Amino acid sequence: MVEELLYSEAGLLNFGIFFLLATVLLLVVLGFVTYAILAERKVMGFMQLRQGPNQVGGRWGLLQTVADVLKLLLKEDTIPKLADRPLFILAPVIAFAPAFMVLATIPFTDKLQFADIGVGLLYYIAISGLTTVGIVTGAWASNNKYALLGGMRAAAQMISYEIPLVMSVLGIILLTGSLNLNEIVEAQKNGWFIIWQPIAFIVFLIASTAELNRVPFDLPEAESELVAGFHVEYSGFRWAFFMLAEYVYFFAMASLTTVLFLGGWLPLPFLEFIPGAVWFALKFTAVIFILVWFRVTFPRLRADQLMEFGWKVLLPVALANIFLTALLKEWLNIF
Amino acid sequence: MTFSGEFFAFMSLALVAVIGGVLLLNLTKVVHMVVALVFTFVSIAGIYVLLSAEFLAAVQILIYSGAITIIMLFGIMLTRHNDTSEPKIGRWRKLLLFAGVLGFAFAVYIGIYNLDLPSAPNDLHVNNTEQIGIELYSKFIIPFEVTSVLLLVALIGSIVLAKKDDEKEAEKE
Repeated sequence: MVEELLYSEAGLLNFGIFFLLATVLLLVVLGFVTYAILAERKVMGFMQLRQGPNQVGGRWGLLQTVADVLKLLLKEDTIPKLADRPLFILAPVIAFAPAFMVLATIPFTDKLQFADIGVGLLYYIAISGLTTVGIVTGAWASNNKYALLGGMRAAAQMISYEIPLVMSVLGIILLTGSLNLNEIVEAQKNGWFIIWQPIAFIVFLIASTAELNRVPFDLPEAESELVAGFHVEYSGFRWAFFMLAEYVYFFAMASLTTVLFLGGWLPLPFLEFIPGAVWFALKFTAVIFILVWFRVTFPRLRADQLMEFGWKVLLPVALANIFLTALLKEWLNIF
Repeated sequence: MTFSGEFFAFMSLALVAVIGGVLLLNLTKVVHMVVALVFTFVSIAGIYVLLSAEFLAAVQILIYSGAITIIMLFGIMLTRHNDTSEPKIGRWRKLLLFAGVLGFAFAVYIGIYNLDLPSAPNDLHVNNTEQIGIELYSKFIIPFEVTSVLLLVALIGSIVLAKKDDEKEAEKE
């Protein structure tokens, strides 16, 4: 259906259809974010032997996040007097827009995808780098030393961990021979890449946690050192935009992990009768759960340890993995 | 001329690119300039997409809007982040500049008006990522390798410079 739309004539009707589809996706993502936050708090609660939210919206606290968002929207919108006003207003937008843009290229099932780009994987990595600009801009515009420190940390961390992230997926690109996410999923019919590329999977998981600025790599917003990091001065819906960007990336990164390593919508053998969307949802939920589990389990790293780990451990391991994969591929070709 | 989606997309992208460039020249604060530059880079990437060179577009965003701007912002913040540039230009110079711009515009207009491009082979955009890769690793392998040597030299140079600073600091203390 989307395939036909992409090659159809430009017109008001098609514009309307695209606009509607994008709005639906945005609403789905917002719904996800609402319940991902709740799920995260619940899982964290159970892992720390407490209840988590259980007051608003029944025993499971189903309306807790809705109430939180309402509170945020009703809050006073403060802009510091000495802040750089235009940049302060622009920064959350620059941070959020790429987060939503990357979702376009992710194939949820073999039919449900918004843009089948030839360089889908590269597109994701390139666009997600733009958010850093938003974070650094916001940090600078706040005119606050904690914000600036957080912004610098965010920039340094995101640049350092983007390299192992890209290097770890190079093995997959070598095996598939394509940057297209659909073809990467199709190539996993003989076994998911988590089996063929276990080292790459571990490197990718660590680097993606760092890219998401989540514990144990949440130095840009380390509460105990920097108050709240790059968004100290933000409140109300501007702050909500930063949080939203973070959770939309959470969604996108979990989807990307599913597509790259867990076979996307492909079923396990003998279970083909279950539709692809359900498979995707199951794998996606598993990745989300692991990321939440990370957050509860690990203590935060120190800034110098973070850099050392990225450059001296993850990058060499990822490079070695590329070398191994190339050898393996040639070796398989000989026989 | 029909008002197609491509035309609309090109016009809006070109407009953003030009406005970003003009703002880059006219703003006074350095950080504002860098943010204007990001907009220009991104819309140029959009124009690449319109020309169905999506690999180039992704690389443009990855390298220019992502890495280079961040490094520029980093440099600015670590040095004189409150620096502003004051315009100090006399009236005569402005007039001369304007005349120069007009002359340039006229020359370009004449050049483009009579330009007749021979129709190039039209399958360059098919699988352009693969084509770029094959060209890079067969025809242009030596320049490619030389570039990597250049980058290595830059890397070693920066490490040497950083090490020197360390020793000086240690002597001071």
